[in-house]
Amino acid sequence: MKILPFAIRNVGRNRQRTLITIAAMGLAGFIMVFYASLLNGFSQKIAENSVGMSIGDIQIHAEGYRNDPDLYKMVTNHSDIISQLSSRGLAASPRLYGFGLAATGSTSAGVRISGIDPVLEATVTNLHQNILEGSWLDPSDPKGVVIGKKLARTLNVDVGGEVVMVSQASDGSMANDIYRVRGILKSVGEGIDRGGFYLLNDEFRSLMVLPEGVHEIAIKRLNESSELFESTAIVSRLAPGFEVLDWHRLQPIVSRMLETNEAGTLIMLIITYSAVSMVILNAMLMSVFERIHEFGIMRAVGVTPMQVFSLIFTEAMLQALAASLLTLAVGVPVSLYYQTHGIDMSSLAGDLSFGGVAINPIWYCKVTPSSILIPIIFLFLITALAVLYPAIKAAVIQPVKAIYHR
Amino acid sequence: MGDNVIVLEGVSKVYSQGKIDVKAVNNLSLEIERGEFAVLCGPSGSGKTTVLNMIGGLDIPTSGRIILEWKELSTLSGTELAKIRRDRIGFVFQAYNLVPVLTAFENAEFVLALQNVPKDERREKVMAILEEVGLKGLEDRRPDELSGGQQQRVAIARAIVSEPAIILADEPTANVDSVTAESLITLMEELNKEKGITFLFSTHDQRVISRGRRIIRLRDGALDLE
Repeated sequence: MKILPFAIRNVGRNRQRTLITIAAMGLAGFIMVFYASLLNGFSQKIAENSVGMSIGDIQIHAEGYRNDPDLYKMVTNHSDIISQLSSRGLAASPRLYGFGLAATGSTSAGVRISGIDPVLEATVTNLHQNILEGSWLDPSDPKGVVIGKKLARTLNVDVGGEVVMVSQASDGSMANDIYRVRGILKSVGEGIDRGGFYLLNDEFRSLMVLPEGVHEIAIKRLNESSELFESTAIVSRLAPGFEVLDWHRLQPIVSRMLETNEAGTLIMLIITYSAVSMVILNAMLMSVFERIHEFGIMRAVGVTPMQVFSLIFTEAMLQALAASLLTLAVGVPVSLYYQTHGIDMSSLAGDLSFGGVAINPIWYCKVTPSSILIPIIFLFLITALAVLYPAIKAAVIQPVKAIYHR
Repeated sequence: MGDNVIVLEGVSKVYSQGKIDVKAVNNLSLEIERGEFAVLCGPSGSGKTTVLNMIGGLDIPTSGRIILEWKELSTLSGTELAKIRRDRIGFVFQAYNLVPVLTAFENAEFVLALQNVPKDERREKVMAILEEVGLKGLEDRRPDELSGGQQQRVAIARAIVSEPAIILADEPTANVDSVTAESLITLMEELNKEKGITFLFSTHDQRVISRGRRIIRLRDGALDLE
């Protein structure tokens, strides 16, 4: 018996029920493709913000610096390390950190002073692309600083305004100087927004009386397809005696959240599809009970239990196939649209951050093969599971009972 | 066993209805020879349909043996029984029992398709049988587009197309008018004579009983008078 043509005909018999079943399956598929794509985009943005705004892929510190950010715990031979990293295809940016009090008029705020090389920093992070007002650091403007958005609000200062910096220099003297705000950053992360104070490396050395060494070397893989753990191992070999950590260990909360996003997609898939499986089960059971008499006739003329099972299974799979096409036809274009245009969540969420990483209120989808294929594969799996009971029931029914069933 | 198509040896069938056991067939022994045109008759509840269903492997006896062409049915699996029904038994039911989604041609073709007979051969055989049963030109009609008599002719076509060892016909004339009933009986008689197909009817229709060449009477599930 050719199962497929017979199954196609049976699927077309009760069009209304078939359409409702396919629509329910297709809707679930669409929701899951869109949800998986949105979560993908969300994860990617968080990873980009986390790695791209400040951390980089890998960082080098003096042992113990991260737990106790002491001004004197430094990476001393940073120039050698950076040049060796560069020859291995790794961009590196030296950073200096200190803490101080920024003041304007009668307001002041505690800040983290970051001394950076704007040229090298641009090879590691894209902070320079996130200027809200004004412009990024420029070696030709040594007294120009860039500050965080909330800090600017706290200090009540605009681009061009003066900020007085007071701190304690490495020699124990009072460090103080006047700077001019060159630029204000967009919201990129809670820490930077509230206390980010960027100035040139040389200005930092001059302010804090710190002629040698750096507190941190931030590194980025120029070839993103290279494995992070391999790059981390290379950096560890080039910086013996220093602490070398990749961004997963530097931002464990964010890293874990990204990992759990995959589990979240899976859980959402199971919840959504469990509901759909009830629809499929109900539709298939109705379809089977309606046709018990017919299955009896078929069994009487020689159709085997396995053929009855295959017939019902094929009918369900045909509906899953139609639902998959519906999912592709609706889910993919909608997700692709929001991959370009994004969904503005600002009215619902406002300024969001997670693990110190700012979350863009415009959420973008990221359509990947897995965000399409996994929901579709799950759709077939759940349909196969849901149809097992009705298919077995129809296959094992006693022919004599089925024939006289009305 | 001679040239027996069917042998029943001490066959009984008991149905449980709540706490009460109802004996539908009681220790029935019977032999049907190849080429017979036999009629099982008796009042309602005498066990005619149950006997037919058990011979066709649709129902299982509570005790006793049913042997169809040297094969004891109770030893066969569901799949093996299905194959026996497909290849060696043809059914004609009182209520026609055609597959509603298939046309007359496809219903008649159904068993041949199950047997994986090549398409061209199927077509040739089915068209010939449909012509033989008087349904030429109605091949593409679905059961709901055919009269009761025409549906029963399709059922007969389906039953004989694979040239089975025996055709079991359960009250084949019960749902048709007398003219149609007469023509159906004549048709089956001709098929029996021309093709040598064994027929076993279950009926209480006197028109069928009078045409039977062997009458098997049942009463309370046992042989009454042969």
